[in-house]
Amino acid sequence: MARRRKRSPLLDGSGKRWTLAAAGACLLPLLLQLPGHVALGVGGLGLMGAVVSLRVDLPAWPRPLLALALFGLVLANYGFHFGRDTGCALLAAMLAIKPMELRDLRDARSLLGFALFAPFATFLLDQGPLSLVLGLAGVVLALMAMLRVSELESMDRGPAPPDRPEAEARGAWRRLRIAGRLVAVGLPLALAAFWFFPRMASPMWGVPDRAVARPGLSDTMSPGEWIDLMSDDSPAARVKFDGPVPGPHQMYWRGPVMLDFDGRTWKRSEWLAGLPPAQVVPGGQSFSYEIEIEPTDRRHVVALDLPLAAPADVRMSRDFSMTAPRPLSQLRRFNLRSAPPQAFEPELPDMLRRLALRLPEGFNPRTRELGLQWRAEAGIGPAADEAIVRRALQWVTDEFAYTMATPLPGRHAVDEFLFDQKAGFCEHYSSAFAVLLRATGIPARVVTGYAGGYRNRFGDYWIIRQMDAHAWVEAWLDGRGWVRVDPTAAVAPERIFDTLEDLPQAGFDVFGNMAAARDLGDWLRRGWNTAFLGFDAARQRQLLAPLGVRDLGVAQLVILFSALGGLALAWMLWLVARGERERDPVLRAWRRVGRRYARLGLGPEPHEPATAWAGRVVAADPAAAKDLATLSARFTDWRYAGRKADPDAALALARDLDAHRPGRRTALEDPT
Amino acid sequence: MRSRWTEPGGRGPAARLQLLARPRQPEPLPVEFDRRRIYVLPTWFGLFFLLLLLTMGVGALNYNNNPALLLALVLAGTALASLVSAHLQLSGLVVHAVNAEPVAAGRPLMLRVHVRADPRRPRRGLRVESGDSAAVLSLDRGAGDATVEVPTTVRGWRHPGRLRISTTRPLGLARAWSWVWPEKPQLVYPAPEAHGPPLPLGAGDNVQARLHPAGDDVHHLRPWRRGDSRRAIAWKPSARRDSLLVREYEEPQGADVVLDWDELSALPREARIQRLARWVDEAERDQRRYRLVLPGQAPIGPGAGPAHRHACLRALALLPGAVEA
Repeated sequence: MARRRKRSPLLDGSGKRWTLAAAGACLLPLLLQLPGHVALGVGGLGLMGAVVSLRVDLPAWPRPLLALALFGLVLANYGFHFGRDTGCALLAAMLAIKPMELRDLRDARSLLGFALFAPFATFLLDQGPLSLVLGLAGVVLALMAMLRVSELESMDRGPAPPDRPEAEARGAWRRLRIAGRLVAVGLPLALAAFWFFPRMASPMWGVPDRAVARPGLSDTMSPGEWIDLMSDDSPAARVKFDGPVPGPHQMYWRGPVMLDFDGRTWKRSEWLAGLPPAQVVPGGQSFSYEIEIEPTDRRHVVALDLPLAAPADVRMSRDFSMTAPRPLSQLRRFNLRSAPPQAFEPELPDMLRRLALRLPEGFNPRTRELGLQWRAEAGIGPAADEAIVRRALQWVTDEFAYTMATPLPGRHAVDEFLFDQKAGFCEHYSSAFAVLLRATGIPARVVTGYAGGYRNRFGDYWIIRQMDAHAWVEAWLDGRGWVRVDPTAAVAPERIFDTLEDLPQAGFDVFGNMAAARDLGDWLRRGWNTAFLGFDAARQRQLLAPLGVRDLGVAQLVILFSALGGLALAWMLWLVARGERERDPVLRAWRRVGRRYARLGLGPEPHEPATAWAGRVVAADPAAAKDLATLSARFTDWRYAGRKADPDAALALARDLDAHRPGRRTALEDPT
Repeated sequence: MRSRWTEPGGRGPAARLQLLARPRQPEPLPVEFDRRRIYVLPTWFGLFFLLLLLTMGVGALNYNNNPALLLALVLAGTALASLVSAHLQLSGLVVHAVNAEPVAAGRPLMLRVHVRADPRRPRRGLRVESGDSAAVLSLDRGAGDATVEVPTTVRGWRHPGRLRISTTRPLGLARAWSWVWPEKPQLVYPAPEAHGPPLPLGAGDNVQARLHPAGDDVHHLRPWRRGDSRRAIAWKPSARRDSLLVREYEEPQGADVVLDWDELSALPREARIQRLARWVDEAERDQRRYRLVLPGQAPIGPGAGPAHRHACLRALALLPGAVEA
């Protein structure tokens, strides 16, 4: 160990700069995925270590202590939960400490090796365009730094003095070109493996979840918690309809359905999720579409209200919300059909009815009182239920307002909302409405998901953004089953159905152009998603579907991969052969002649001039080498007499050389 | 010092593997490297990189994470391409001469390796190794040379053994190398005796003894050249010739020195050779004419100058019976 350390040459300034720049570039996209303060701490420490190690060699002893302290801090930040993000943060911390030990080539190489893990870790957390571009830049820089380190190892001082800035810049360009060429040469093999190497249909081990979840739909909902989610304009899903498109008021994307209410939080009922889907009488109109769900940490699959059937290996529960067996940590695509129901669970079992009416004791007394009062006024029966629902909707339409600025709820959150504030957003409305309906004796539940969508004009598909997250109420009415009631839409329809698409019509021309650019950007991203991010075992099996081969098996994939990988490798070998080949056709032909004679034991010696060799061959075997003397004279003429001989003569010479065989007279030279 | 790769006679698996490497016997130069004699194997860093890629690949396949998978695959492809590139750094390289100035035994032989190649492909930072000595070889406009040290112990012909030309460029993931085993040996002079008696001068009955004219005699005149001392100018002849002439004096020279093998019969054989070698050097240093008489050969000289010295030392070096001390 000591011996190797002594042997490994020291880094010079430029080598250190390259290595540190590459490590920094690799680390950057990872830092962007970490929580702000962790990223700042780790990044700041890394930067400090890098700057210091450029100037002085640090002693070794503080490093393990520093590493332990930093790891401890990072773990504490994640509350000692070990998740995917914790692992990535630890990797970032390690990368930040590593530059402090940057002395010789070995240090540089191990730093570069670990740095290449950073883009990998980034892609596990996020696959957006920014991460991809930054990751790619980091990888290219790392390759260039590896080139620089290798140049150092070879102790080549280079053609120009290396300390001049323009020489450095030229070196950078050269290295970029070399790195680009290496990547280009390796790319066919990489792509063959990417498309054809058999993918795993299900993972060997689970993807560790994040320790800190990103905002998104979940199994619970308590009013006021979606503030972050509703200002997030990143896409949640993209939908392409095949055939008719639902109108804007039908675009409700069903997610988790909440039945249990504890006074503050709505919760998805676990045991209900295990029951088979309820009975539904579908309406006449149906929509078929393909929905592409962006990666999340959750298992919820959203679908247009109301999906007819769940896709393969996705479970649909009694309330028609769907869950995948694993978190959708990758882009997933589902083909679905939905139809607005005519009757949704027209027979409600007693057990479920009781659950859908249950209100916790000791919460929201004013609302319950109002409910009882309304029920007393309306009477009993299906018509009365509908009247109550209409009355409630009328009430919110007349007296309530939409706002995102809501105070923190107290104990009787629904009371406060209905009687004091009279303003809020979808979470408040749906929660209060469901409680109010339950208080009047109408079974009600809260449905979360997305509402609306924005049509992309380039790709003719619809984007659902995180900010379209929505919560509404389903009330059970006799004969119709569960009926969607959306109090928020009654109050502020523009907040629900109107989207960015309407803004250009408001007269902002500049905004219109920006929207077009946005459309184009998202369209490109969707194309990328389709071709690349969404590729999985299922898509792989259909890879040759356009050629009429459906459902490729693993064996066929292996064969295809071997064939294409072999082709790519053959291409590399061809590059080698081409690199080795003599470029001049005349010289090439001359060497072939030499090899033919070598088979007879009369090959030319490396140092032997052409005419001397021909003389020797003719002396040894006059019959075998009738024309060799002439040919060698012509060859010598071509080679030495005039470099600027006309190319036709050279070609003719090459042809004659190729035609020449020992012991056989060429037709050209022999008229008989 | 023996080295594990330049001496093919060693034992152990490494040495046995060496026997399989091309070339398997000494060969005449020039030698062109082609794919049959270029070897490529990963370095330690390359193995580390491989491990890294495997981890990435398995992780990415497991999570079906396409960007991560493509990253691993592109890096793998790049690594493979770097093997191709390393191979091409060597292939087509022609080692057309390996030579060295003769040195006395015990001093390292400075072996110059001359190489040329097609100038269109840049080849820089190749490493030439012989035993523990290494040098950097960079081709400039298609030609280059490097000097490695080869230790010597005995006089006579020294076979430089196998030379290794290698490179870890471009990425340091793999080392490509090729052997060249020049057939032509290099001459090693005998080591001169460290301390010995002075040149055998006053032997008055030497056959070739001849006195030179006294040193103060003017030998001839020649035209003035830059740097000549002003005192040496012969003013009178210069005036006659209308150009400056300079007097040249002849140095006083002693008698020819005869270095006779048979005179040293008291010494053992190698010691005799060493003393004669020392005397040759001393005579050369004192600018004497000298003659070397060896048994069974025609006497060499009398003469002086580098060519004569080389002839004498060569004859001494090639006397039979050289063994490793």
